[in-house]
Amino acid sequence: MQEKDNTRRKVLIGLTSAVGLSGIPFAATPFIAAWNPSAKAKAAGASVKLDVSKMQYGQQIQVAWRKQPVFVVRHTKESLENIDSALPKLADPNSDQIEEPYKGQNPTRSKSSEYTVMVGVCTHLGCSPKYHPEVEPKPWDASWAGGFFCPCHGSMFDMVGRVYKGVPAPTNLPVPPHFFDGSILTIGEDRGTA
Amino acid sequence: MSEMVGKLFGWVNSRLPVSNTFERHLSKHPVPSKVNFWYLFGALASVVLIIQIVSGIWLIMPYSNTEEEAFASIEYIMRDVDYGWVIRYMHTTGASMFFAVVYLHMFRGLLYGSYQKPKELVWIFGCTIYLAMMAEGFLGYVLPYGQMSYWGAQVIISLFGAIPYIGESLELWIRGDYYISGITVSRFFALHVVALPLVLIALVFLHLVALHEVGAGNPEGVDIEEHLDDDGVPLDSVPFFPYKVLNALVGIGVFMTVFAIIMFFFPEGGGYFIEMANFEEANPLVTPEHIAPVWYYSPYYAMLRAVPDKLGGLIVMGSAVAILFVVPWLDKSKVASIRYKGIYSKVALALFGISFITLGYLGTVSVTEVRKTMSVICTVIYFAFFLLMPIYTKYEKTLEVPERL
Amino acid sequence: MIKKQSNILNIKLSKFLVAIGLLVSINGIDAAEGGPCKDYGECDEFKYSLNDMASLQRGASTFLNYCYGCHSLQYSRWGRVSKDLQIPEEIFFDNLVFDKSIKPGDLMIGSMSKEQSAQWFGVAPPDLTLVSRVRGDDWIYSYLRAYYEDSSKQYGVNNLVYPGTAMPNVLMALQGNQKLVCKDVPVIAKNGGEKRDDFGNTITKEKCGYLKVDVGSGELNKEEFDSLIYDLTNFLVYVGEPAKAERERMGWYVIFYFLIFTALSALLYREYHKDYHK
Repeated sequence: MQEKDNTRRKVLIGLTSAVGLSGIPFAATPFIAAWNPSAKAKAAGASVKLDVSKMQYGQQIQVAWRKQPVFVVRHTKESLENIDSALPKLADPNSDQIEEPYKGQNPTRSKSSEYTVMVGVCTHLGCSPKYHPEVEPKPWDASWAGGFFCPCHGSMFDMVGRVYKGVPAPTNLPVPPHFFDGSILTIGEDRGTA
Repeated sequence: MSEMVGKLFGWVNSRLPVSNTFERHLSKHPVPSKVNFWYLFGALASVVLIIQIVSGIWLIMPYSNTEEEAFASIEYIMRDVDYGWVIRYMHTTGASMFFAVVYLHMFRGLLYGSYQKPKELVWIFGCTIYLAMMAEGFLGYVLPYGQMSYWGAQVIISLFGAIPYIGESLELWIRGDYYISGITVSRFFALHVVALPLVLIALVFLHLVALHEVGAGNPEGVDIEEHLDDDGVPLDSVPFFPYKVLNALVGIGVFMTVFAIIMFFFPEGGGYFIEMANFEEANPLVTPEHIAPVWYYSPYYAMLRAVPDKLGGLIVMGSAVAILFVVPWLDKSKVASIRYKGIYSKVALALFGISFITLGYLGTVSVTEVRKTMSVICTVIYFAFFLLMPIYTKYEKTLEVPERL
Repeated sequence: MIKKQSNILNIKLSKFLVAIGLLVSINGIDAAEGGPCKDYGECDEFKYSLNDMASLQRGASTFLNYCYGCHSLQYSRWGRVSKDLQIPEEIFFDNLVFDKSIKPGDLMIGSMSKEQSAQWFGVAPPDLTLVSRVRGDDWIYSYLRAYYEDSSKQYGVNNLVYPGTAMPNVLMALQGNQKLVCKDVPVIAKNGGEKRDDFGNTITKEKCGYLKVDVGSGELNKEEFDSLIYDLTNFLVYVGEPAKAERERMGWYVIFYFLIFTALSALLYREYHKDYHK
């Protein structure tokens, strides 16, 4: 009799605790979800548009997308021809280690054969690399072929944002979703024709 | 493994009174074996306190305490923040439910004499909690900066203007501006989210410490300490854990069901929990047609309106709360519980309850001649209940209280 | 003991009854004051249906075509409306959003400057995001149907629900000319029925203040117009609290959960209760 009583008790304790505990994730959901980017943040982080036809050859401009620097580079003919000049020094020239949205479409890594679009945040610790397009010896590399150099911890990237070997940054600069509508570049959204 | 845990626990325990506290206040803490549902509201109040603190912390994050953005930030929470509406309604429903359970908890005290010797301090800490809650609720209601926030605060702050000599400069000092502006909102915000919660938590702690020192009461008013077993444990008691905890769990289940019904289906509570006019941004130039406080202040608001004098109204309102503090010394009865008190006490308590509820209703509607008269009558009954208490409790015939529960 | 208990019960009961009686009697006084719908009398009752997407979509379309020119919905976002109302974004933006520079994340801040509109109407047309929460849905539903011809006013119309309203009757072309008329109505006897004379005929009396539309003067008949206003009000209820439908849906699950929890803990409590109450 006593034995039977205890079984009932144990079953009830188990059930009540199970139901009670199963409520915790549900109760926590609103509190966790409330930390997601809000509709306002998402609206502010929506795509940005710019006209790239006014850019000079070799010029790099910086636009803010989600308050993050995005680099747009209009390559010169020479730099397009020599785009792979630093190839032996690159860690991941084909961007196999990252999710590359437009892989294999253009050597520029973008949807255009002339422009490169990349997030200007070093994949090491988040500094913004500087643009050094000149092909000339530099303090950080005697045979510099042009590209980006990060002043914080010395990471180097080539003209299309591919990372060098032996630097602290682990991966290439990511390419954000974008598309060109004529000369209008939209960053942060992917639709339309290249 | 378990040996290591045991060792660690021993190490902590010899430095921090863990098991001692646990036994004294939870596992072996004796509580009366026979109580009714009235004894659940204390536990429920602590549940709501936790809900308010957690949801409150989450509301601070997206809220903006400036004049330009306060109102819009509430709509931002309701629309743009994922599940922000859940958190906000939790907090608004929690505010009303906090007062609901505390009012019932206090009524329990009057019903069963929970303030009588030696529980005077428990009662006084409780009254102070109530006072702090009223301030907390008022400050919180100003934060959305809607029409009711503005005009409610306008009325309450103007009350301070009734104080002779310093009144007007006091009003200005509280607002920090010539109207209730962003400056006022941001100082109320600081008080609402930091200062008063600290005070409340400290008071709740003291309330519980004092309660555990003198022991919980029961509806019979029997002192269970009179009959102990060989170990010194009261015969008519059960350990707090698991018996009382399980009992409270059932109460919490029922309470949370009610809470959920309100929160998900009637969050505005028909305009009594969130007033309709508060969905309109504060406009210092236009008073809403009908100003009423939220339901939990309305009895006092009705008293205020019953008195045709500014300072007098303030004094009456203040005294109505202040008089609660001295109840332990007003009750001269030999018995604690209403069950054994005489007919006068029963009638007095019944009239008191009715007049308090009626005042509550009168405080939410606009004034008419009839209602004003009723407010006066109810206010008189409210005070008579307390002021005549020393007389009717002393001279009435009480019943014999049993020895045991 | 039992007697005492019943005594307490009696007191409780009588207390309760007296309280109810008091509240009812005071309420009676309240009703005489005139409700929120003013000259219209009792507001018409409105029952929202936030799961009726077709109604909400029609309401949104009416709002954007007739109201949005003057009234903003400044806390609401375009994309959210199209998503919540299940209107595919492309269709929504092609057909209902007239400013092509608008992005889905933008707030519906309106297209009219406050100063300019204040000049035109005397007061700036208010933002309507929260109108259903400030005024109530019954009020909106009654208000929009309570315009009548009144040549003494600036726009030639007045409103029974909101006498002296600054808003012209934008929907007049749809509704037609509504006028205040008098008609014979049965006299109500004290017992609540119609009063009859000695021959069994209903006694009537002329009463005024009834709204009547000139037949054929509007594009829509009365039912169609009422249903248009229903959809519009329904949309405003949605905009007032976009999470409302989800809230009510979620509420059932939460209540269900706590009921199960209560039942289980009650069983568990009863089980332990046996320990000390044999």
